[in-house]
Amino acid sequence: MFLTKLALKNLARHRNRTLITASIIAFAVFFYLLLDSLIGGMTEMSYEMIINYEAGHLQVVTEEYWEEEEKLPLKNLITPEPELMAVVKNVPGYLGSSAELNFQAMVSNGVNELPVIGRGINPQDFSGVINLTDYFVEGEMFHAGERRAFGVSPAVIGKRLADLLKVQTGDYLTLLVKDKHETFNTIELEITGVIYTGNPLVNEGLVYIPLDVAQEALAVGDQVSKVLVRLENKNRAPGVAKELAGQLQAVNPQLAVYSWDQLEAVTVAGAKQMGNRLIMTIILLIAAIAIINTVILAALERMEEIGMMKAMGLQTKEVIYTFVLESTGIGVLGGILGVLLGLAGVGVFTVVGLDFSGIIDMAPYGIPVVGTIYGVWNPFSFVTVFAFGVIVSLFSSILPAYWAADKDPIKAIYPR
Amino acid sequence: MRKTTVCVAFSIILTLILIAGIFPVAFGALTAEEIIRRRDDNEYYDSAKAEAEMVIINRNRRIVKTMTSYAQGDNGLVVFTNPRDRGTKFLKRGDDLWMFFPDAEDLVKISGHMLNQGIMGSDFSYQDMMEADKLIDLYKFELAGEEEFDGRPCYVLEGTAIEGKEVSYYRRKSWIDKERFVGLKEELYARSGRLLKVMTVTKVARIEDRWYPLEMVMEDKLRKDTRTEFVIKEIEFNPRIPEGTFTLENLR
Repeated sequence: MFLTKLALKNLARHRNRTLITASIIAFAVFFYLLLDSLIGGMTEMSYEMIINYEAGHLQVVTEEYWEEEEKLPLKNLITPEPELMAVVKNVPGYLGSSAELNFQAMVSNGVNELPVIGRGINPQDFSGVINLTDYFVEGEMFHAGERRAFGVSPAVIGKRLADLLKVQTGDYLTLLVKDKHETFNTIELEITGVIYTGNPLVNEGLVYIPLDVAQEALAVGDQVSKVLVRLENKNRAPGVAKELAGQLQAVNPQLAVYSWDQLEAVTVAGAKQMGNRLIMTIILLIAAIAIINTVILAALERMEEIGMMKAMGLQTKEVIYTFVLESTGIGVLGGILGVLLGLAGVGVFTVVGLDFSGIIDMAPYGIPVVGTIYGVWNPFSFVTVFAFGVIVSLFSSILPAYWAADKDPIKAIYPR
Repeated sequence: MRKTTVCVAFSIILTLILIAGIFPVAFGALTAEEIIRRRDDNEYYDSAKAEAEMVIINRNRRIVKTMTSYAQGDNGLVVFTNPRDRGTKFLKRGDDLWMFFPDAEDLVKISGHMLNQGIMGSDFSYQDMMEADKLIDLYKFELAGEEEFDGRPCYVLEGTAIEGKEVSYYRRKSWIDKERFVGLKEELYARSGRLLKVMTVTKVARIEDRWYPLEMVMEDKLRKDTRTEFVIKEIEFNPRIPEGTFTLENLR
């Protein structure tokens, strides 16, 4: 008990040193928490981007299509029959569903051609799953059955694509596609709306056209690539997917249901986060080295004190105990300080956010995020990083304390 | 078995323009089928080797690419010889197409929507060079009339894709020289009726015992101010092609 008291007293006696060392730990903890919150926010946001602008929460497709989806084939499509849609609409937490037909295309403005993904949609159903209303920078979404003059189809494209093609609302484009029989076909388009969303794919690689126009041009009858479903809560998606898949077996045994977390884009985003975690680990390592350094120096500086303690009859292990306890105390102090700062910092981050669009455009680097990134709360990080600070302080003090305590008291008191 | 004539890369052009008979029509009117058959018949060679030049013109920009090509049956190999692309190769084996880039030492299989893009920025798409079936098997032709084209009397034929066949162009209109049975002009249409490409032959020569198109111009009608000229400098029919020419090992 005496030793514990001594250690705590030491903390108070060497106030400056305690504060400086603790503030280093606090800074490491704080910095980690901020970054962690930001990375978490980025992950969350890239998931939201995929869910909100591309994929919805669930996708009903045939297994064969899902395997080859990258190529956007016109084979293994599904027919959204009433029985199928009735089952889909009955899933728990259902908000909306939309059938879409995706296809490879070349878009031409008469001068240049660019490869794009064409997406045939029914605007009403589509808005129930993916709401683009707030993202129109020009014009608006076309209406069901809408045709422009001379039978030209309306189309909505992304802002970046519009800029690349140097077109705007009211301009005409030609979409060159290959139909189900591999025969070229063209779709004449008039741009009725230009959108700018947080999703780079939507901004530069997608052309939305009415579903019936796409179906006719691609000669696929009333078939679609997939049916997207939006639920009330994205966390329920994996469970609901299983349930729906079971129910759909009765309608069409070839159908499969995939939830948003099974999407390749999500997996890729997740893999990128792993890379970020690695960077975080390196940051922690650097923080650990700083802490170790400070603790070692503090111990060495007090060599005489250790010598005196030993001369007064303390055993080696008792000296080590005192020092380790003292150092752990500094770790706890620093940890608490860091967590408090972290709470404030993350709190600010979640409310204010960080506007990346003003700094750099992240899209070319493959981060599907545009605009402001908000932090997220991650209680687990608070606990782990606090524990990290304390444990590193504890372990890093053992060796120098042992080294000093093991010395002959006379040499420790008078090292020269 | 189909034998491309000049080079695999441009088998389609040849498909479009192949000369039919060597003999001018002497008696009676030919049906559309007979005219096309004469063209198709001439497409079939055992093998060919050619030196050719491709001039890609995009507004004021002019890029010249030269190549040596080999064709045998369903297989073809194109080796680019101009300094910038030297060593770049295309290999067609049946329905598959590979490209080799010497700088990257990379072998790329070309598939999917990439097939619809222009070869090396030209007006010929990869897809154009993959089409290898006889026209008569893919299209139902009708004689639409007779017209003079470029000072030569021509048959005008209109072909529509036969139901169920996989063809790139739903409809095609061909101007075929009445005497030499060479396609002089070809218009290629999408199913929507939109004109996609126009190919015109600017030079026809007699090689060995047949009339042969040596120079042609392809225009992608979805792009403005762009065309690609294809000039055959030298062509040899039934040459000796070393074994292993059309293998992936040979590409590297």
